[in-house]
Amino acid sequence: MIPAKYNVRNLRVRWVTTLMTVVSTGLVVWATVLTFGLVEGLEHALRISGEPLDLIVLRKGTTEETSSSIEQNVAKEISNLEGIATDATGQPLCSSEFVTILTKPRRGDGGTTNLIVRGLQEMGRAMRPSFKIVRGRDVKPGVNEVITSERMAERFQNLALGEKLEINKVLFEVVGYFEAAGSSAESEVWTDLRDLTGARRTPEALSCVNLRCRDEAAKSTLLKRLREDEQFKLDAIDEPAYFERQMNAAVAIKYAGIAIALFLTMGAMFAAANTMYAAVASRGREIGALRAIGFSRRSILFSFLLESVMLCLLGGALGCLGTLPLNGFSTGTANWATFSEITFAFRFGPTVLMQGVLMAVAMGLVGGLFPALRAVRMPIIQALRET
Amino acid sequence: MTSLANEKTKATKLIMHILFYIWRNLTRNKLRSMLTILSVGFSLALMTVLHGYQAMQASWGKEAEKYQRLVVMSTQGFSGQVPIAHVDRVRGMDGVEAATPYAWFGGKYKDEEMAFAQFGCDPAAVFNVWDEFKIDSQQLEEWKRTRNGCVVDRRLAEKRGWKVGERIPLQGTFYSFNLDLVMCGTFDSPKTNDSVWFNWLYLDEGLQAMKARGAGNAGTIFARTQKADELAKVAKAIDDRFASSENPTRTQTEAAFAQMFVDMLGNVRVFILIIGVAVVFSLSLVTASAMAMSTRERTTEVAVLKAIGFSRRRVLVTILGEACAITLIGGLMGITIGGSFLELLHVVSSQFFPFSFREMLGTWIVNLIFVSAAIGLVGGIVPATRAAQLTVIDGLRRVV
Repeated sequence: MIPAKYNVRNLRVRWVTTLMTVVSTGLVVWATVLTFGLVEGLEHALRISGEPLDLIVLRKGTTEETSSSIEQNVAKEISNLEGIATDATGQPLCSSEFVTILTKPRRGDGGTTNLIVRGLQEMGRAMRPSFKIVRGRDVKPGVNEVITSERMAERFQNLALGEKLEINKVLFEVVGYFEAAGSSAESEVWTDLRDLTGARRTPEALSCVNLRCRDEAAKSTLLKRLREDEQFKLDAIDEPAYFERQMNAAVAIKYAGIAIALFLTMGAMFAAANTMYAAVASRGREIGALRAIGFSRRSILFSFLLESVMLCLLGGALGCLGTLPLNGFSTGTANWATFSEITFAFRFGPTVLMQGVLMAVAMGLVGGLFPALRAVRMPIIQALRET
Repeated sequence: MTSLANEKTKATKLIMHILFYIWRNLTRNKLRSMLTILSVGFSLALMTVLHGYQAMQASWGKEAEKYQRLVVMSTQGFSGQVPIAHVDRVRGMDGVEAATPYAWFGGKYKDEEMAFAQFGCDPAAVFNVWDEFKIDSQQLEEWKRTRNGCVVDRRLAEKRGWKVGERIPLQGTFYSFNLDLVMCGTFDSPKTNDSVWFNWLYLDEGLQAMKARGAGNAGTIFARTQKADELAKVAKAIDDRFASSENPTRTQTEAAFAQMFVDMLGNVRVFILIIGVAVVFSLSLVTASAMAMSTRERTTEVAVLKAIGFSRRRVLVTILGEACAITLIGGLMGITIGGSFLELLHVVSSQFFPFSFREMLGTWIVNLIFVSAAIGLVGGIVPATRAAQLTVIDGLRRVV
């Protein structure tokens, strides 16, 4: 076997070519990992939004909170059902909520988009994953106040602390920023339930009920009870499934990401092949000598493949490292299930980085294969004679 | 006169010579040129697809501009109220030719979610608003008579194999009323519209009977103006008319309305730009590296050329020309591949890609061609200047 040091030295001797190839594959990997990180961020935000024991109760026939409506007495009966978990004071973990969509301008030149405003009470806020106020304070009922996440405040006009958001000609003051573990709740604006329905002039309206089951057994009984009740005409969906469905919104971006990766990998493969052909061509004598002193064809093939993979991996590593400063950088797009804005942070987790590295390996292998085969096929005499 | 003509033929001859020389160099190491071309090609194919996607959105807006239509919606957005009485008020306004309620139903067909679009509208007015759509007058009369009737985009009906008389049950998602539609006819539209149009009154009566949410709401109003240049004026007049009412409106052109959905996607433009910059930079390096290899191999040759009297400029031009030729061929190939890919998407799913590549052609293609030539220039500049500055002695002495 030819030691790997041989390849390292070769790469170092032709450092200009090496550097150029490394940077160009690096850029390609960077662009791809960026796209994958975007998809991963979006999926992550939706994935962690679903609490396994939580149920969302909607009107039968709807699939979204935004299009559902439930009567108040029905909501009251739901909260009295058996099997709902309770908090320390014995209150059922059950939240009646009203959800509406407003069309609002983005900051800067981003046009308008839809914004989810959710009216809920203290219990509902406490049920969100690690909900906490990070700046300002929580809303007080009855005085038209809203809270939102810092990301939303950056993206939308009139959503920063102290600014006023207009809902049906009623002004709501932004009094605080909250966090909810990066879940999709952070893409919403929250206010008091009755303040919101009041402003929308539908004082009795409710969209959905969010409840937490005591345990798995209680969850399946509750699901059955809610779905089969003829009188209520309700549908209950467990939260992870609800958000799983919204993930379809990311499918288009995902396909785009794959297409980008495919085209760019192809392009980079040819570039790598070029570099390796040049390497083989300029080392005819060396290859002949290696063969003459007894290295097998296979070890030469392996050696050149290794060199090619090393070359591309260097680029891949560079590309992956280049995305790290963008980790956590927030962005937003449309959630096509609700037709409204969802904000999330880029995430370059192990899977995404692994994909980038694999892509680099693929470039190296495919790009290096034909040059390596050429090196192997060279007859010893002719190779030694080459200048 | 003759000397001028002579000069001209001489210049042409010279250019022909240089081109020939470039071509010979290009084909000398066919493998390397091929690989560089392919590398540029695939990357530019990607850029073509991404920019084509943007161009498609632009075409969409341009298409919408042709028809003098306005869209009236609630200032609160899609979930707001546009009372049905607004429709008649809009019709009565100066400059408005026709108007119809246009309520998005979004129902499930059998078990399919979002299988196609469904809109509640006014059968008597809707074909005056979309006056470029064609429908058989008998079928239209039939639809006006049938309360639960509907008309369907011909392409959609053909895809689904629906015939006149087909029952189309739709389960409401946003509305709690379920529709049981009967197909009365098909209409032809210039672009895939993929919609089912039913009578708004049928939905409203159902909702009223159930005392359900959404009764009396037109959703949005689509209106056509009499004159193309009055769009902005009429839009403002409509908004002013309702500004102090319970339900103020926001009126925009159909193009702006379409743009709203594009805006919802967020900063796609920036994203495409970032990827584009990364790709262009990467390709410049690829080209530079390939050209460096070629010129290194040809050091002696360049020295000989100079020894027999080739000027520096000529050497520079030859090598830069070679680099540009490679990236241009790659660019043209990439645009062809990307264009075919877009065409394929259009054929496979005309709902999401309503424009063929031919309809999207524009300056952006020319820009991409320029970009590919520029990649060659940037990539070739270092090897070319190095070759041009090479002294004859050094070049001849160097052993490769």
